[in-house]
Amino acid sequence: MATLPSGLPEQVSDEESLARFLTQSNYFNAVMVRPAAFLPNPKNGQTSVFRQGNESHEALWQVGQEQIAGERSLHGIALFKAKHVREVQLDVVSQEPPPRHANIIGWPSNTSDPELEKAKRKALAIQIAQHAELLRR
Amino acid sequence: MPEPVSTTIGVCWLGYAAVQAYARGNSAVSSEARAVRDAVCAVVDQAERSQALFGDKAAAISQLRALANECGEPNWDGNDACPVNPMAVFLAETFVRALPSSIPLPEFAAEPDGAISLDWIQSRNCLFSISVGSNHRLAYAWLDGADKGHAVARFDGDRIPPRIVEGICSITSHGNASLRAA
Repeated sequence: MATLPSGLPEQVSDEESLARFLTQSNYFNAVMVRPAAFLPNPKNGQTSVFRQGNESHEALWQVGQEQIAGERSLHGIALFKAKHVREVQLDVVSQEPPPRHANIIGWPSNTSDPELEKAKRKALAIQIAQHAELLRR
Repeated sequence: MPEPVSTTIGVCWLGYAAVQAYARGNSAVSSEARAVRDAVCAVVDQAERSQALFGDKAAAISQLRALANECGEPNWDGNDACPVNPMAVFLAETFVRALPSSIPLPEFAAEPDGAISLDWIQSRNCLFSISVGSNHRLAYAWLDGADKGHAVARFDGDRIPPRIVEGICSITSHGNASLRAA
């Protein structure tokens, strides 16, 4: 199997933990990470995530601060398994650089009825959020 | 014995404080006076309820505007998100104002496409989420145990679509430990 510059295998396995970095405190509440946190970027139709691999949670915080948050506050990390993405007929594919980066792809995007497609994406995001664990400092 | 007064005229003419005093302190005994007292009490109760409700809705709208301000620039999420759409903010405010008083107020989040998410989260297996974007067609989805779905409904700016009201009520009827009180 091909290996990426990060040392991770090119193929994202079902059991891998994925991290979605949360730069908004509104992206979670006391109960869960909220579905909006998983919705794709409209410009490329993908949700950017990072693969945890063998990294510690502390190392993930550092990746999130450096790669995503920058000057912003990093309020939390949503951790979830790749299998939960695939269970809803989406997929996760590696895309480096930056190291460990991957994208959730396959979101509904038919433009004939944008609101209906948005509703479908929300339904999928809810199902991913259902399984996500919230990390906070 | 106080003279009977029309409740409507009375409220306008005497003012709220005077009417409240009339409603609470009246000791009228005739049936006509009792009817007037009851009517005035109802008006006062409704006014107080409206005031309490307005307070909560005003706080929610204030949070919504703060969110819009926080997410008003491109890339607010570090992932190249679109800025929150002003029309979405306007429609979300209108939606909150139109919510029946029996429905808890939602929590808000910005979405990467510039829409506003209105969420009623009971548990991670029981939630209802609406996207308010730049037009009156609202995308929504829900999860209620094994039951899940999604749809679109048109919001006319005045009345919440009945299907959405039913959906929210179905979720919030499981208890509202994690929902903000209306």
